[in-house]
This record gives sequence, structure tokens and C-alpha cells, in this order.
Amino acid sequence: MTQVSSTRPIVSVRDLGMVFPVPGGQTVALQDANLEIMPGEFISLIGPSGCGKTTLLRLMADLVRPTSGSLSVNGETPDAARQKRAYGYVFQAPALMDWRNVLSNVKLPLEVMNLPREGRDARAREMLKLVGLEKFERSYPWQLSGGMQQRVSIARALAFDPPLLFMDEPFGALDEITRENLNLELLRLWRETGKTVVFVTHSISEAVFLSTRVVVMTARPGKIEGVVNIDLPHPRGEDSREDPRFFQYATEIRELLKKGHA
Amino acid sequence: MTTAAPDSPLAAAPASRSRRASNAGPMLAVAALALLLYWPVMLLANRGVAQRALDSGADLGCKTALACATQLRNPVIPAPGQFLEGFRALTIPPTAPTSAPYNMLVTGGETLLGLSLASLLGLILATLLVRSRSFERATLPWLIASQTVPIVAIAPMLAVLLGQYGVQGFLPKAIIAAYIAFFPVAIGMAQGLRSPDPLQLDLMRTYRASPGQVFGLLRLPASLPYLFTSLKVAATAALVGSIVAEISTISFSGLGKMLAENSRASDTVALWVIMVYSAVLGIALVALIGWLEKGVTRWRPAR
Ligand SMILES: Nc1ncnc2c1ncn2[C@@H]1O[C@H](COP(=O)(O)OP(=O)(O)O)[C@@H](O)[C@H]1O
Ligand SMILES: [Mg+2]
Repeated sequence: MTQVSSTRPIVSVRDLGMVFPVPGGQTVALQDANLEIMPGEFISLIGPSGCGKTTLLRLMADLVRPTSGSLSVNGETPDAARQKRAYGYVFQAPALMDWRNVLSNVKLPLEVMNLPREGRDARAREMLKLVGLEKFERSYPWQLSGGMQQRVSIARALAFDPPLLFMDEPFGALDEITRENLNLELLRLWRETGKTVVFVTHSISEAVFLSTRVVVMTARPGKIEGVVNIDLPHPRGEDSREDPRFFQYATEIRELLKKGHA
Repeated sequence: MTTAAPDSPLAAAPASRSRRASNAGPMLAVAALALLLYWPVMLLANRGVAQRALDSGADLGCKTALACATQLRNPVIPAPGQFLEGFRALTIPPTAPTSAPYNMLVTGGETLLGLSLASLLGLILATLLVRSRSFERATLPWLIASQTVPIVAIAPMLAVLLGQYGVQGFLPKAIIAAYIAFFPVAIGMAQGLRSPDPLQLDLMRTYRASPGQVFGLLRLPASLPYLFTSLKVAATAALVGSIVAEISTISFSGLGKMLAENSRASDTVALWVIMVYSAVLGIALVALIGWLEKGVTRWRPAR
């Protein structure tokens, strides 16, 4: 999976900048960002809060428009890519619909996209099985723990089989144990499906464990400080965390983060 | 994912069930207290009137003010016997056009029709309010102004106006009821339609959902709890509207018409009985909406 065959980037970011007007001035959320993401990569964006991770992801997803620079997704504008439903987005909060049960929540994109009615249930059940929630399809969101809700939202993002997955701190609110479990599951999912993942986190070990490359960002103004290649073999498991290179990468990332701080 | 999270709790349900059961206790205690106080309060309230009647030399067939307190023709608060007698007289036979149950159904029908009109109008207004800020700026002050005009002042005028177009009887009352009931529905629904999380709106955007889908799949279902809360407020408002409409226009039936008649005749016992029927009607309307709410918002945790 790490050996990328295609040479055309799936996401390409050039001199990208985003400035928000705020009372009495402006916030530079992102400045001169440059990045190319190849198909099949697992990219993590890491940095302190306020460094523009969410902004960068939202720009790629065409949820906001840049104030300078340009970017392309699948060789098109983000808007065109969104119109073609090129990506799934997992938000920081599960954002489930309270009035829909788990199965029906996962079916939501299939309904919106008018995919054949007959296939919907089967597809949604398949996704629920993938995230280990097949026994909970009749439950409502309030009956699930935070981790289970986030898994439903991942199943929902996968339901229409987008080649690209944007994930904004999906496990940020979860306890360490649940989080490490979900990390393992996410890696398995990524290897099995061959999707490209752009993953936001502020945990160094999570970034190293998951990624093929880690994009280190720093704040005020938000910018990309450096990119670290993670050359750990796949499949990765708990023992990958014991690998001496794991610590090397973590240290390298920590140094980059400090550089932005100084 | 392979390991199910340890917290897959359905534990909230039993907890809230026991909470609901314990609500009945305090409520019954208050009811018992009210019953217990009924007799002394009634005596106290009627004694003065009885004393004055005795002082003026009227023959009430009783000696002391306290003894007469239960036998006044127009008591401030009727004695239990008087109340039961009045209740029987106004209830049996229930199908008679002069009976309270019959008139309660008339008023209830007007109120329900008014409430339906109000819901329709409220839903349309709320949709427009949420759709367009300029519509909100242009109309919201007028909507609020419409509610500051006392309904008693508007009712006769509306009735006359509608009468000129041949709208008579049942319908004008329903329209007057709708006039005060649409407002809470419109405001509550507008709030509900705006209630979705920004993330949920973003989510729909990533799916390239049409505006109609955003409305039907997100805004409308999210607004249902708000709708029912405002409907409960609107129901009591509509009931007031139809009773006021019956009192302040020419009416041939309804609790309002009975109230007007009996207040002219100073028949306090009848007024008390009609009041109880009005209260029952109000409670029944709110209960009906609560029951509808439970059916429609089945997905919510038991509260
Ligand atoms: N809609 C917005 N309006 C104004 N400022 C914003 C907006 N969105 C983000 N920002 C600002 O931009 C900066 C980067 O935000 P964000 O991308 O959310 O950071 P991160 O996700 O890394 O924590 C922050 O200073 C934030 O306050
Ligand atoms: Mg963020």
C-alpha cells in the first residue's frame, strides 16, 4: 500500500492561504501551504490547536473557499470533486441524526444520492459489520457510547464508497483504550479498501502509528512546518509501537513542532 | 470494533421510568390537600355573603352565617352538594344542545380546527422565516404586532368581516383561535428548523444534497420536538381564542356562549361547572398533543 503506483496526486495544494476576518482584524488560519497527496496514502495533519488543520481539511472538502492559492482534488476543483461525491468526511463530532437508528443513519448518504433502494440495507449492514456494530443497527444514537457513535459516522462516510476519506480528529474525544482499538481498525480498513485518508490529530503517537506521511503544522500563522515520511512496515500492530524507528519519528515530529513554537 | 465497547447502555430507560412513577405521588398529595381544604375555604368564602344576606333580613331558611354558607343561591364557591347538583343538571342528557359536554365538544372542535389552521400557517411562515433573512426582517415585527392586539378587540371585528363573506358559525371561531395560535407555532418551528448542528449541514453539503433534501431529511425532522412543545402552548392559546370568540360574537353554542349566558344570570354554580369542563378540555387537548408527540418522536429517550 505504501508503494504508490500512480504518479498523479489525488490532492494537490499550492500556495494555499486562508484568512478569516475577525472583529478588529483578521486571523491567518493558513499561509502558503504546499502539499501533494498520492492515491492510497494515509496522511496525518498534526499540530497544536488553531494551526489550521481543520481549515485545510475543509478547504479540500470545499466546505470553505480559499482566500489565496489553489488546490485540486482528483485533478479538478474541490467544488467539482464535491459535486462528484469524491470524498467522505468524518467530523470531529459524530453528527448523527437523533431520529434515525444506526442502520438508517448509515443509509443517509445512499438516500441523498438516490442509490438503488434495494441495495441500501445490504450496503449499510456491510459497513456496520466493518466497524463492528452489526448488532446495534436498531439502536438510536443516544443509546450508544461516544466511541460507538463515532464508528457509526465512519461507517456512514464509507457507505457510498468514496475513494478519499477526510477525518477531522475523529477519535479526539475518546479514551485512550477505545482510541487505540479504533486506530487498529482504521488501519485494517485502509489496507483492505485502498482508500486515501487525510487524518487530523494532535496525538504524535497516533500520527506515527497510522500514517505513511505526517504533515506537521504550526500556529500563528497556521502553516506547514515539515513533512515526515513514516517508513514502518505494514501491517502494523501493537509491536510497531515498540519499533525503535517509531521513537525516532515521534522525536522528529516533536522537534518540528517545537521549531514552530520558538 | 471487534471488541464491543463496554458501555452499550440501555440503562437510561429504567431510570427514567421510575422517575415518572414518582411524579404521581406529589401530584396526588396536592390533590388530596386541595380536597381537604375545599370545605373550610368554601365556608370562609361564602360566610361574608351569607352574613350580608342575613343582615338584610332575607329568609334563607337557616340561622347562622356558617349554616347558610352551604345554601346560598349564588355562592362564591359552591358546596359539594350544590356543585354535584349543578354538574348533573348541565351534564344530563349529554346530547342536549344546552348541556356542557355537548358544548365542550363544539368548542373542542373549533379549537382543533383552529389549531390545524395555525399549524399549517405556522409551518409555512417558519419555512419562509428560515429561508430568507429579508423575509424575516420584513414580517417578524408585523407578526409580533399582530399578537399585541388583544384578541377580545379583534374577535368581533373578524366575526363581522367573515360574516360578510358568508363565513358563519363554526369557522369564524376556528379562525380566531388560529389567529392567536399560529404565532407560537411559527416561532417554535422557526427555532426548530434552525436547530440542526452546523456539522450536520456541512455533512449534507458533502453529499451534495439538494435544498429540498436538507429540508426534508434534516431541518424538518430536527424541528419536530420544537413543533410539539410549541403546539402545547398553541393549544391552550387556541382554546382561549375560541372561548373568547364565542363570548364576543353572536354564538349559539360552545362553552364561551354558556359562560356569557350564565354570567349574565349570575349563576355561579353553573359557571363553576363550565369552568371545570373548560379545564378538562384544555387538559385533554394538551394530552392529545403529548400522545401524538410520543407516537411521532418514538426515537427519543423516555423522559
Ligand atoms: N469560520 C471562522 N471564522 C473565524 N476564524 C476562524 C474560522 N475558522 C477557523 N478560524 C480560526 O482559524 C484558525 C485555525 O483554525 P482551525 O483550522 O480550526 O485550527 P485547528 O483545527 O488546527 O485547531 C484559528 O485561529 C481559528 O480561530
Ligand atoms: Mg480542528
